[in-house]
Amino acid sequence: MKENANLLFVFLFKTPIEGSGYSLAWYILFVFIIAGALLFFAANFAGITSFIERRIAARIQTRVGPNVVGPQGILQWVADGIKLLLKEDLIPDRADQFLFRVAPYFVFSGLFAAFVALPFGYGIVAADLNVGVYYIFAITSLVVVGIIMGGWSSNSKWALFGALRSAAQIISYEIPTALSLIPVIMLTGSLSTQDIIKAQGGLPWDWFVFHSPFTFVCFVVFFISALAEGNRIPFDLPEAESELVSGYNTEYSGFRFLVFPMAEWANLWVIAAMVSLTYLGGWQVPFVSIETLSGSLVLIFLSVAVFVIKTSIVVFIVMQLRWTLPRVRVDQMTQLCWTYLVPFCLVAIVGTMIWMLIFPWETRVALLLRLMMFGIGFAFCFFYVRRIRFNYFNDKTAYENLKKKSPWYPIWRLP
Amino acid sequence: MTPYFNAVATTLYSIFEGMAVTTSYLFRRPSTIQYPNKLEKPLEEQLSDRYRGILQVDTSVCIGCRICEKTCPIDCIAINLEKNKETKERFLTRFDIDISKCMFCGLCSENCSTCAIYHTKFFNGATQNVDELVVRFVDSPIVLYKHRKDSDPKTREKDLSGVIVKQKMVKQRMKKQKTAKQEMPVNKISKHKIKEEIL
Amino acid sequence: MPESELKYLKPQALAFKEEMILNMGPQHPSTHGVLNFLVVTDGEVIHQALPNVGYLHRGIEKLAEQTSYTGFIPFTDRIDYLAAMFANHVYVLAVESLAEIEVPERAQFLRVIACELNRIASHLISTGALALDIGASTPFVHWIRERECINDIMEAICGARLTYSYMRVGGVSRDISQKIVDDIYKFLDHFEPIIDEYNRLISFNEIFVRRLADVAIISPVDAVNFGLVGPNLRGSGITMDIRKIIPYSVYDQFDFDIPIGKGFKGSLGDCYDRYFVRILEIKESCSILRQALSQIPKGDIKAKVKRKLKIKENECYACVESARGEMGMYLVSDGSDRPYRLKIKTGSFTAMSIVEKVSQGLMVADLIALIGSLDVVAPEIDR
Repeated sequence: MKENANLLFVFLFKTPIEGSGYSLAWYILFVFIIAGALLFFAANFAGITSFIERRIAARIQTRVGPNVVGPQGILQWVADGIKLLLKEDLIPDRADQFLFRVAPYFVFSGLFAAFVALPFGYGIVAADLNVGVYYIFAITSLVVVGIIMGGWSSNSKWALFGALRSAAQIISYEIPTALSLIPVIMLTGSLSTQDIIKAQGGLPWDWFVFHSPFTFVCFVVFFISALAEGNRIPFDLPEAESELVSGYNTEYSGFRFLVFPMAEWANLWVIAAMVSLTYLGGWQVPFVSIETLSGSLVLIFLSVAVFVIKTSIVVFIVMQLRWTLPRVRVDQMTQLCWTYLVPFCLVAIVGTMIWMLIFPWETRVALLLRLMMFGIGFAFCFFYVRRIRFNYFNDKTAYENLKKKSPWYPIWRLP
Repeated sequence: MTPYFNAVATTLYSIFEGMAVTTSYLFRRPSTIQYPNKLEKPLEEQLSDRYRGILQVDTSVCIGCRICEKTCPIDCIAINLEKNKETKERFLTRFDIDISKCMFCGLCSENCSTCAIYHTKFFNGATQNVDELVVRFVDSPIVLYKHRKDSDPKTREKDLSGVIVKQKMVKQRMKKQKTAKQEMPVNKISKHKIKEEIL
Repeated sequence: MPESELKYLKPQALAFKEEMILNMGPQHPSTHGVLNFLVVTDGEVIHQALPNVGYLHRGIEKLAEQTSYTGFIPFTDRIDYLAAMFANHVYVLAVESLAEIEVPERAQFLRVIACELNRIASHLISTGALALDIGASTPFVHWIRERECINDIMEAICGARLTYSYMRVGGVSRDISQKIVDDIYKFLDHFEPIIDEYNRLISFNEIFVRRLADVAIISPVDAVNFGLVGPNLRGSGITMDIRKIIPYSVYDQFDFDIPIGKGFKGSLGDCYDRYFVRILEIKESCSILRQALSQIPKGDIKAKVKRKLKIKENECYACVESARGEMGMYLVSDGSDRPYRLKIKTGSFTAMSIVEKVSQGLMVADLIALIGSLDVVAPEIDR
């Protein structure tokens, strides 16, 4: 980042920074600019995603979704935000006033700090930490501190239930999250997010997910435990709205309440970005080597686009899971963690070690095996499309008879 | 060991099947209509003719038998009849229906021998004041209908869309607002006077 | 919590400091209306759950004594708003048997068609709401969409979507046309594949199965002793259906099975059995509907009944198999034009009695599943 700051200084003022005497002030200013840009991205992503999720959920539930505020309802999230801002900031009687006020800050800062180490494209990362991956999972654990604070201080039994569930959940799922990344780290030899992406390739069979059956298992485990860390269905136990009214944020209102859902949607990006950078090749552009990528500005923007598309697909899958699955119970959540995810991870780590020894990455046999794994993945997707087709045609003629309309109405056709 | 792996397999496969169902809905037509702004066809056409909406009374064919008043389980219909002693003609002087009480059961319209009282498809008659929901169908006394052999009142054309009753309700509301506006300053003065008297 | 209610809690319940009293409802999202549960919990584990009913008591039984025999029909819609047709049916059956009125056969068939459509609609809400309680919101909306088709058919038949008031003493209020029959056939053609799709989406979903299987097991003995009826009783493996045992209307002319719980995914009498029995009953209702539509005879839809019905001193009990089990009405007449006394027996009320016994040792999330699987409707409990 320091180099980028230097470059920008030269570009703006036509003098090298070393001799100017403003270097410290410029660096501090630059940090604030980057922080502002990241905050802008996180807040807007959370808002727009909330709108898109509602539209997708509506179509899954054969509804239309919000389409009144602005063209196609695109400004719905702004309206919601303004509405919550104008609401009274209510603090319950007998609540722990200080903790109640402070809790949203913890939730917010814990999530926002994770964006620092997340890459967006080749060389585009706020801080290329050498412990990047573990930094992200350590700092997002701060969210649970905020949730426990909020739940405890609300002086409500439902909120307390939500907070304690959240504590149990995060403590359990930190372990499979960390363990399931070990194969990636072994394959890369580094914890830096940029190094992990650089170790993979642009084409699908050069991604870590198709490296071996063991990394594929780890990918699934990582995806599941990332869902649990992000409090998404099927692991949204802390705010199980049908059981605990609204869980830890039952007593919150106004802008303090807004922070919780906003953090949840911003977390969606963190989850999806982590999944795509560790296992799905990150910003690697197909047929372009890293040397040529670093030279051209156009290719760097292309890498950003590739990363955003991959992340968006993962975000979409996470959303769709939310609107498909029911919620697990508390004991099932911990049981799933300790009897399935953790043993699978441990086996997969050992398996990956052995695989790496027998089939090193560069060898032709390893490439063949990766191609085979990719073939299996492709066959899976093909089967998935077949099932979707089956479900569509299952109802087609009867629907046409009943409603006298064609059921074909794809998602890109806006009502 | 087998149940352990079976559980994993069935879980993943059932989630896969569920995802396939939800994805297929992304390509299927939404089943909701966007009331009231973007309707494909007017709501009156979408409701069936038997729809039991707000009641409408065609006072020109009312024979004054009072069966509707008697069958109504919650007494929301009020009818007054008067008789001219010289000409022996009977008049309908009052036919009020309190829609705020009405539970749209259809017992009154079912027993009407001339279909003078019937349900329309009009349903969205919300007002700010409950009193405005009492619809008065008789403005001035109306001579009661008598059965004739050449015409059957049941086959006549009915106002199923409820335009007449809607207009009637709007008219009543306007009238009420006018009288309320006229009364307003009087009330203020009287309140002031009361205050002065207390002081 | 008021002092007067504390005495119903177990004496040892408050002795331990670790236990806390959770007041669930009446504004809780998944108590299916205004219901209150006093839950004594140790963390997530429930030690005792006391249902507290009566928030929706409207005195419908007393209202019957002040309205005429015909005039009470619209009130019966309000007993159970999800299955209004059954309350209509049982009331007119009671009045007809008191007044000794013969109902034309076509009217009987129309009643069966309307009732079975209503049974499907009610079970759709029940199974969908259970999925919603477990946390999956999509299945509920899909079922609501199917129920909307039934509502449209109901609107074409009798003019209302929820409070039908379709039945009359001596028959039904309106006839159905060939167009409506065709519409029902079209709906069934569309609906039967959707049941399988729904099963793929949620019924066989492993997370859903694990949330319900082996949870809140009601043994057959308990089910009988606590007076459970309908799908809740059949979920415990007891073949008991008023439609078969005391055939009323024309149910003896149809060929249908009574689905009972067999421990489909867990053990006999768990939440999943009660849930899946309802899904199977929807399929049975579809087959009854097809049979009824094909055999529907021509004729009158209403027997000749005096407008002002007066019934001599007598009493009778009539019952039907409602969507929530046996719904019975005990009617006493005294020679006037209005009932002397009416007592209504409903399935949800007896289902509430077993909550206290079964809920011990469950988790808070399981209690929600139990309430959902019992398919209680608050106005039916309190009347």
